[in-house]
Amino acid sequence: MSIQAIRTEENFVTEEPYYQAVGNEIEVFAAAFQNQLPILLKGPTGCGKTRFIEFMAWYLKRPMITVACHDDLTASDLVGRFLLKGGETVWVDGPVTRAVRSGSICYLDEIVEARKDTSVIIHPLCDDRRLLPVEKLGELLQAPPEFSLAISYNPGYQSVLKDLKQSTRQRFVAIEFDYPDAGSEQTIVEKETDIDAQTAKQLVKFGGMTRNLKGSGLDEGASTRLLVNAAKLINAGITPVVATDTAVAQALTDDLDMLKAVHELSRSVF
Amino acid sequence: MSEARQNLYNRIRIQKDLERFTDGVLARHDNVESAIADIAALEPNAQEFVYRWTELIGESDKELAACFVMRSASAFGALEKDGVQAWIDTAMDAFDNRGLGAGIEVFEKPQDFVERYSGQHLRCGFDEVVSFLQHFVTGLGGRELRIDTGESTYTDTDTLYLPEAISEFGALDDNSSLFKLTATHLWSQTWYGTWRYQVVEQLLRHHSLDFDLPIFNRLEAIRLQACIERDYPGLARQFSAFADNSPHASRWAEWREAAVDLLDPDADATTSLSLIEKFHDLPLPELLPFHGEMFAGKVRQALFARIEREKDALQHALRDMQDQAQGNDGGEGDEPDQEMVDFELMEDGEGGSDMSFQLSMDGETLQMPEHLQELIGSIMQDFGEMPEEHMKPADLGEYADDLLPQSGEGGDGSLDADGKDVFTYREWDCVRNRFREAFCRLKEMDVPPGEESFIEETLDKHRGILKSIKKTFEAVLGESRLLRRQLDGDDIDFDALIDAMIDREMGLEMSDYVYTRYRNVDRNIAVMFMVDMSGSTLGWVNDAERESLVLLCEALEMLKDRYAIYGFSGRTHKRCEVYRIKTFEDNYDLETKQRISGIKPKAYTRMGVAIRHLGHLLNLSRARTKLLITLSDGRPEDYGGYKGRYGIEDTRHALLELKRDGIHPFCITIDNEAQEYLPHMYGAANYAVIDEVEKLPYKVADIYRRLTT
Repeated sequence: MSIQAIRTEENFVTEEPYYQAVGNEIEVFAAAFQNQLPILLKGPTGCGKTRFIEFMAWYLKRPMITVACHDDLTASDLVGRFLLKGGETVWVDGPVTRAVRSGSICYLDEIVEARKDTSVIIHPLCDDRRLLPVEKLGELLQAPPEFSLAISYNPGYQSVLKDLKQSTRQRFVAIEFDYPDAGSEQTIVEKETDIDAQTAKQLVKFGGMTRNLKGSGLDEGASTRLLVNAAKLINAGITPVVATDTAVAQALTDDLDMLKAVHELSRSVF
Repeated sequence: MSEARQNLYNRIRIQKDLERFTDGVLARHDNVESAIADIAALEPNAQEFVYRWTELIGESDKELAACFVMRSASAFGALEKDGVQAWIDTAMDAFDNRGLGAGIEVFEKPQDFVERYSGQHLRCGFDEVVSFLQHFVTGLGGRELRIDTGESTYTDTDTLYLPEAISEFGALDDNSSLFKLTATHLWSQTWYGTWRYQVVEQLLRHHSLDFDLPIFNRLEAIRLQACIERDYPGLARQFSAFADNSPHASRWAEWREAAVDLLDPDADATTSLSLIEKFHDLPLPELLPFHGEMFAGKVRQALFARIEREKDALQHALRDMQDQAQGNDGGEGDEPDQEMVDFELMEDGEGGSDMSFQLSMDGETLQMPEHLQELIGSIMQDFGEMPEEHMKPADLGEYADDLLPQSGEGGDGSLDADGKDVFTYREWDCVRNRFREAFCRLKEMDVPPGEESFIEETLDKHRGILKSIKKTFEAVLGESRLLRRQLDGDDIDFDALIDAMIDREMGLEMSDYVYTRYRNVDRNIAVMFMVDMSGSTLGWVNDAERESLVLLCEALEMLKDRYAIYGFSGRTHKRCEVYRIKTFEDNYDLETKQRISGIKPKAYTRMGVAIRHLGHLLNLSRARTKLLITLSDGRPEDYGGYKGRYGIEDTRHALLELKRDGIHPFCITIDNEAQEYLPHMYGAANYAVIDEVEKLPYKVADIYRRLTT
């Protein structure tokens, strides 16, 4: 087996990723891109935010650099740092700097997970200046028109410590995502997994039932991603009830009564 | 030694031992040998059990112990160990309460006990399944339904009434399944339109409830079964497993054949109504165990009340949307802007199981908040379509009437104005679109100390929960963070070291900050708990609130977060009251504990002013994260017009003011209808509805942990 390594700034999406538009998000993103505006994607987990960015990278024919944010992410992790090599110092660009230099789409996933001081470094990039200060080099990078910054966040988190600051969010064009309607979701499940229409329909129906439980015992209903996972298991020969139990119910909750309810809901559909 | 001989010795030993425990009374019984032989054949741990209990019972009475020995082996034949234990307990209870004769009677007739015991243990109680059923029915979709026990099994379209227990079948699983199917059948009546407005009207006007209602019930059962077969094949299989085994299956089959129209996907409840006459002369099939009865009068009562309520709510929501669209929000004095807008409702996606709607105003599609979706869904369930009248936005006039007492000065009594601890606050008037300045007078007062024993009892009652709460809170504390670039520490920070080396190579000064160190996260949090002390909390809600506070205080003491607790209530805008239970400065000491236990229900819920006052207090604290958590049992309501939209809008405004000041509001409520107004007041992710009051103490602590990590 040989594994291919690709430099992130050459990470072009060559094959069209499957993406089912639910509204005018493609036009909005393209317009924002043309006007050099940064984009904020809001929405629950597993509703297609990352897939959408991949699709846009393909659509706009730009490389895509993704950073999964975490709470130890420092500004140098994003911008870059000096390394020592044989007694010499060598500068290595961070992902944001690389994206700016190469005119890529830079996608900061789950931005609220990053420390608040970290997200501030993207501020000058997000307004009309479009500058990235690289302090250690004493440089100011002017982003080319092809560079685009996109961030995502899930407004459903209940932690007060994980909220997006107004000064950050007010720099972005925001596109809201939600789970697709039943028809589109069925198409998505079918296209992603080659499952038959009837099973896909039943899965989507089951997904809708779990979403009815949001707020009355479940923090979130089943995401489209979970339904796709369940469909893949069914395709591999697992019975639908077992597939939904393992791919959906257990992933959603640990509460016994709730598990039983979700299990019975699945049994009632299949 | 041969096996037979071994067995003999064994039996002799057992007999001797047991005779010793019974002081020889055992020897006076007949057939001791065979009883002993049976005991000798038991498993070793069962034998040990018999030994132990013979000795224990013997301490109370030797004769009783001997009776136990005589029947113990046969009891083990019929029951598991838990059952035998229960048998002994019953006998000992009888002996303690009613004397030796009663005790012996229980031991001498193990068969009676076995029958009763097995019966109970196949019985599935409502309490065991209610939580599951609630989730299940919510998952099926449609209007939020309550689940409760009732004398009969039926639904009034707000609540599903189920029996206290089901023991129809010989297996526990079957009985709990029957609970589920009964609830599902009643749910299907509300979902597939058995009780649509038009149907209920016709039924009550043109049909005899004594003769026609039972027929209607059976016809609907046939129609609903067909609906479920189409939409929920899995459920349909479970239903038919029950129905096919019924002795009345053949008669049901006859009816189904005669009512073939009902199997059509386009059939609705009016089809059943039209068929009633045709079935007048056919004998009624027995209802199946999951069918339940029908009470048209009770449905009518619930239905009509709901129709009025929801129509009102929808019209007001439309009015809001219209106002927003016309930009009336800021303007003053332009109230009679009655340019009517045309609202239109379209079903979104395919109908069937998931109803979702699109609302458009003058042809433009509107974003609909979730609660409005639910409201419209519920109205559609009642009518099958949206009545035109519902789509007319409410007139302003209606509010004005509502609010008359509000502006009047005739409030009953004002605060004894010694001026101390008295504050005035403004209030948002959504009708006039402006503040009423200095409208509310609020007095801060102390809660009279209550009994201290309450605290002890609570800690005792929730010992287990408290332990687990403390454990999870400890985990929060334990979450330490790696600090980089420290002057000294546990490990070397390689990134910093490399930077320092680079600096040196470049001829710059090398930094000393090259270590990493773990340090506990600095929790710079101040939290204010605002406890609803309105009259409606009387009883268990009040108890649950107080218990929650006790557990929370215990946990918070550990986290060392700054916290304060205040209660609020009041009567009219002149007598708003806020009760000090624990200020930020107070310690969690005896007096604070007594004040928690002294929390008592007072009057009404004027929330806006309390939020403004407590927000002001919270703002004085210098924490980085400030949190105002409200514990409540219902919507804002006060004497004199502070209700409905007025109360909600004022509260919402007060909360917006808080957010502007950097305070995070959060609401924990036990009001099942909270979904209708909380998202509007607090925002989509800033509230939690707790379905069972008993869970409040545990949930509050859990939510607090989630909020602050």
